[in-house]
Amino acid sequence: MNNKKVISFILGLMCVLLTYGIVVQVKTINSTGTTTSTNAKANELKDAVLKAKEKYDNLYRELEQAEKNLEEERANATQNNSELSELENSIKEANKALGLTEVTGKGIEIVLDDNNKIPLNSWALDPNILIVHDTDIMTVVNELKNSGAEAISINDQRIVTTSAIECDGNVIKINGVKIGAPFEIKAIGLQEVLINVNKVGGYLNYLKEDRFLEVSINKVDEIKIPKYTGVMKFEYAESK
Amino acid sequence: MIIIAILIGCIVGAIIGINAPIIPYTYSTFLAIAVVAALDSVFGGITSVLKKNFDLTIFISGFFCNSILSIALTYLGQKLNLDIYLAALVVFVGRMFTNLTIIRRHYIEKWMTKKQENVENVQE
Repeated sequence: MNNKKVISFILGLMCVLLTYGIVVQVKTINSTGTTTSTNAKANELKDAVLKAKEKYDNLYRELEQAEKNLEEERANATQNNSELSELENSIKEANKALGLTEVTGKGIEIVLDDNNKIPLNSWALDPNILIVHDTDIMTVVNELKNSGAEAISINDQRIVTTSAIECDGNVIKINGVKIGAPFEIKAIGLQEVLINVNKVGGYLNYLKEDRFLEVSINKVDEIKIPKYTGVMKFEYAESK
Repeated sequence: MIIIAILIGCIVGAIIGINAPIIPYTYSTFLAIAVVAALDSVFGGITSVLKKNFDLTIFISGFFCNSILSIALTYLGQKLNLDIYLAALVVFVGRMFTNLTIIRRHYIEKWMTKKQENVENVQE
């Protein structure tokens, strides 16, 4: 056993295990994107938040899997019955209209960002005009809807019938999720019409020329807009 | 030969670790305590080499048993809502410092005697 070759081999193997453990641990902690605070209470809270988030992610993955299974089962069950498959198609159409399915298609992509180039101490006017506000986003979304956009998302938050765009201090809340600048607004629709929101007299033009915000607008042929991930509940509204 | 094996082991381990997927955050506490336990075993091993009573079997069993026991204690602590891993951590890090002291004393004493001999040689 005390042969030198055996000893060095086993020691090497243990070093492999040890460094592997250290590197994986460092990578895991780095991937959480947080720094360790010297305050024990803060660390505890951070730990709880990260664990809760992980639990949520796992459950969400399970939910997605279950939804996929449901769809498969539905497809199987309605395969040989034309009446049922018609119903199935109408469910799909309704989900698409509600924003409960991921959609792809041609459209435009607008990126709105605060003006970071003008230093605030050399700026005599109200500094608020250099920042993207919730009302700006609301107006842009409204103009896009007016131009016939069929699906809109802002920083991967799908705009559905119940979506609210609200101001939340330094950030903006959409569907209850906090998002920050730069805002990436994607819209699917007829590109030639949608691109008109960029024209003089439109709100985007005002943001660019009078508010000095960073605005870029592009036609994109393959836009993917994610589905709405929240819950749609209708407790009070009844249809006759 | 042993040093070369250790170096190669460290490099291979780092390469595998960089390419390996990350583990869930919930389990990162277990891995951390296992790493500290293993490091403690390594320092213990170096000390026993200096004391000339190094035994490979004891070293390997200590390496794995310490890691597994500390992981088990951490798990038990989570179940009992008690931070038992802190106790393990204190023991391991405390032992690491003790062993480090022994290693440091050994080399400093060696260096001092060498210096003394040199001085005597010059005087002669």
